[in-house]
Amino acid sequence: MRSVTWFRRPWRLFAEASALLIAVVVAFPLYWMVLSAFKPAGEIESSEPRPWTAAPSLDSFRRVFEQNEFGRYFLNSLVVACSVVIVSALIAFLAATAVTRFRFRFRTTLLIMFLVAQMVPVEALTIPLFFLMRDFGQLNTLGSLILPHIAFSLPFAIWMLRGFVKAVPEALEEAAYIDGASRSRFLWQILFPLVFPGLVATSVFSFISAWNDFLFAKSFIISDTSQSTLPMALLVFYKPDEPDWGGVMAASTVMTIPVLIFFVLVQRRLVSGLGGAVKD
Amino acid sequence: MRVGRGLSRSSPRPYGRSRGRSQKVPWLYLAPALVLLGGLLVYPIYQLGLISFFEYTQAQVSGGEPTTFQGFGNYAELFSDSQFWQVLLATVVFAAACVVSTLAVGCALAVLLTRVRAVPRLALMLAALGAWATPAITGSTVWLFLFDPDFGPLNRLLGLGDYSWTYGRLSAFFLVLLEVVWCSFPFVMVTVYAGIRAVPAEVLEAAALDGASQWRIWRSVLTPMLRPILVVVTIQSVIWDFKVFTQIYVMTNGGGIAGQNLVLNVYAYQKAFASSQYSLGSAIGVVMLLILLAVTLVYLRLLRRQGEEI
Amino acid sequence: MKLAPRLAVLLTALAVTACAPQTSTNSSSDKDDKTGTLRVWLFQEVGNKPKEKVVDSVVTAFEKAHDGTKVDVEYIPVETRAQRVKAAFNDPASAPDVMEYGNTDTAGYVKDGGLLDVTKEFGDWTESKDTDPTARQSVTVAGKVYGAPFYVGVRALYYRTDVFEELGLEVPRTMAELATTAREIRAAKPELYGLVVGGAYTYGAMPFVWANGGELATGKGDSYTSAIDSAAARKGIKAYTSLFGDDNCPAAKCAGMGGNDTITAFAAGKAGMAIGGDFSHAAVEAGKVKGKYAVVPLPGVKAGSVAPAFAGGNNIGVLKSTSHRTLAVQLMEQLASKKTQASMFEAMGFLPTFGDVREKAAAEKPYVKPFVETLASGTKFVPASPAWSEIDSSLVLPTMLQEVISGKKDVAGATGDAARKMDEAFGSAG
Repeated sequence: MRSVTWFRRPWRLFAEASALLIAVVVAFPLYWMVLSAFKPAGEIESSEPRPWTAAPSLDSFRRVFEQNEFGRYFLNSLVVACSVVIVSALIAFLAATAVTRFRFRFRTTLLIMFLVAQMVPVEALTIPLFFLMRDFGQLNTLGSLILPHIAFSLPFAIWMLRGFVKAVPEALEEAAYIDGASRSRFLWQILFPLVFPGLVATSVFSFISAWNDFLFAKSFIISDTSQSTLPMALLVFYKPDEPDWGGVMAASTVMTIPVLIFFVLVQRRLVSGLGGAVKD
Repeated sequence: MRVGRGLSRSSPRPYGRSRGRSQKVPWLYLAPALVLLGGLLVYPIYQLGLISFFEYTQAQVSGGEPTTFQGFGNYAELFSDSQFWQVLLATVVFAAACVVSTLAVGCALAVLLTRVRAVPRLALMLAALGAWATPAITGSTVWLFLFDPDFGPLNRLLGLGDYSWTYGRLSAFFLVLLEVVWCSFPFVMVTVYAGIRAVPAEVLEAAALDGASQWRIWRSVLTPMLRPILVVVTIQSVIWDFKVFTQIYVMTNGGGIAGQNLVLNVYAYQKAFASSQYSLGSAIGVVMLLILLAVTLVYLRLLRRQGEEI
Repeated sequence: MKLAPRLAVLLTALAVTACAPQTSTNSSSDKDDKTGTLRVWLFQEVGNKPKEKVVDSVVTAFEKAHDGTKVDVEYIPVETRAQRVKAAFNDPASAPDVMEYGNTDTAGYVKDGGLLDVTKEFGDWTESKDTDPTARQSVTVAGKVYGAPFYVGVRALYYRTDVFEELGLEVPRTMAELATTAREIRAAKPELYGLVVGGAYTYGAMPFVWANGGELATGKGDSYTSAIDSAAARKGIKAYTSLFGDDNCPAAKCAGMGGNDTITAFAAGKAGMAIGGDFSHAAVEAGKVKGKYAVVPLPGVKAGSVAPAFAGGNNIGVLKSTSHRTLAVQLMEQLASKKTQASMFEAMGFLPTFGDVREKAAAEKPYVKPFVETLASGTKFVPASPAWSEIDSSLVLPTMLQEVISGKKDVAGATGDAARKMDEAFGSAG
């Protein structure tokens, strides 16, 4: 192996240099977003765009936070995203257990259905969902956002979780039952912790889709602004006349940071998680 | 799927029955998921299909006029519209381009990640996660802004003057493609990277000792081992890229100059919401669903033929 | 396994109970509460602050006069209004009580069953006798009144006095001169658009059609036929679209612009001329060109004539679903009253719909003169058909203009397609 390493060294340096360069390119749009948020008003729409700013200003952020009930929007988004993550993780865990650790009729059919369900163009379903929400009196409530998001994140979560549930060895289950564990004890105290990394990995997807959604928020929160979510606060800056780019960028930064934090927290589990989800 | 080692070497056949478990248990576990999916996914899809067979415009929605059954009338209208075929073609080509680019970039970078030390790896990983975390609407806005003819730095950098990227059909699609790849390659990269990491080091070392080139190792050693992973990321990319909505809607301002950048999803949305032709919009939705369904069935067939279980 | 038959039964039941798509029962509410919260939707304008101020004072007075009532005003973006309003029609619980709407949407909203018939109240309202006939027309569908006119809007030609002086240019007196003047400006000052035009700016393009003797559609009542593909209309479309090019307004930039974009460009000092409304006055005043521009009626084909302008404007209406009928109608009258319109004119430059108020305004503010002149020389309106909302929101005309501008189709082809789409809409809505 030593000779190989020696031979590879210049290559590795080259690879590392390109990795760093690519990282810079990939991060550049994000950098530009944050930069624009800090630029003073006149500088964003200047014909001499500069990749730095001499006079960083918090004005754009101030406009974002001074919006009516901005804190409320933030909280609403958090409530929606967290409910979706937790509920869909639990439901998907149960369903994934059912389709991997049991053999029953329609099992394959169900699996295919879970795959197909991911293909439904969500945008096309807004009309029927609108009526459904109206008939249940859920319009203008956070429930009208939480419920559909859970439903739409379930198929992918179940599909991804299968691998994890399958990876838990049969022997463990046998042993648990021999020790006299009940089925629910096995499910929640043995299987659940073992599958947890996978749950984290899949929850990333449901969190992002719920957090970033503005289609449902726009369609179902018609008149009660106290139930609005963060993306709505972002849309305010897309004014018909002159979009307030500083505001848009500042609001976007505020919106992206919680997801980034979430990502960094779960990064390790995400990598092992995604790897585990697809091998079985 | 086959990559399984160690823990994952469970019997391919779930063993519930051998323990004489009741057939009710799995349905009990599935119940919450099925109730939710039935109510919020299956039922709306059923409604969608239904609407596509009726005359259903704003007048019907608000109860001003009775709904009338149209049979396949809406579909006939759709299929006789040359714009629909044009949009369909654009959607397929655009989605294919997105999928191929995303996979190529994602896999290449995943391999790169395994070749570098911790610091550059962390940098690239964090940048990718950042791109992943960015809301689609924001990402689209930022990219549009970067390429803005008057205020964007990119034209300045590339010396393009005030070239307008969103005016030409191809350049507008290209711009959207860049954004789509940017925000969707991280999923591919992280997943494939995780997959490569799971490949035992001895296998790779042995191949390297045999003097195989990087490309050879990727072709002959990694690809077969990663095939299940690659299948998953491919099918997910197809599903996501075929349905791309926000990027087109935001970056080309709802479909571009004279609708040149419409893709099916945006087209359906415009028909349904802008023109209030809900039934036509629904018919487009159904067509999309059928196309994706066909893709899945082909994929499942391929899996079956190779004797794999889902 | 007995599940299969059970599932089958369930599915059949589902199919039987839901054999038709859902609809709303948009009946009018019988309730007429005298207290509670009134919800109001108004449009968000370019530079909305002054409007908010006027509305706030009306609201405060209204709340004071009616004990136990609260008025909740929300400003909604004009671009996405269609979706919001439709959602409101479909769900009375989230609908506002009082709403501002564009006068081109009147017929469509009435057909959708969203607006309350206020013929009686409007007749009883003392101020309504001074409403000018054009404005009254814009709230009337089949003889019934569905709201109170809020303001009228006409467009005229804004031009930069400093640029004209520097280049020694005359104010154009015909449409042909308008085009040559625009090109001269662009040639002398390549950083400016000569006349800034937009491919999505339908109401900027229509005067060209009308001035050339064309029409959008001909007919009346239930039977309209598109006339956009007539020879005269084509001439107008050709005149308008020929303004897109590197010698005036480069297609790459201008094809995607709407009315607001052109005004923004003019206000930022990026154009020599623009076609803007009286309602754009505040935005231009707030821009870089303050004190360096003037307004004249848009010239017609013959020297000295005025190109017919589109009589735009907004109305205030009450929604059918309101549960505060009396209060909502009163609030509508307050929001559209002479007093409010006068202060709205002060604040936003919105032209009043009352003849007497408008005359007073013109006497006070000379900049209104070209707009009043334009109004006086005859205006045009879009077909009073419910199909117009659909034609408008499905972007038939902008698409047509953009097809010509980008060279995808010639004038004959694009207008022919647009005429076909319009006729389809007229047919299905008729």
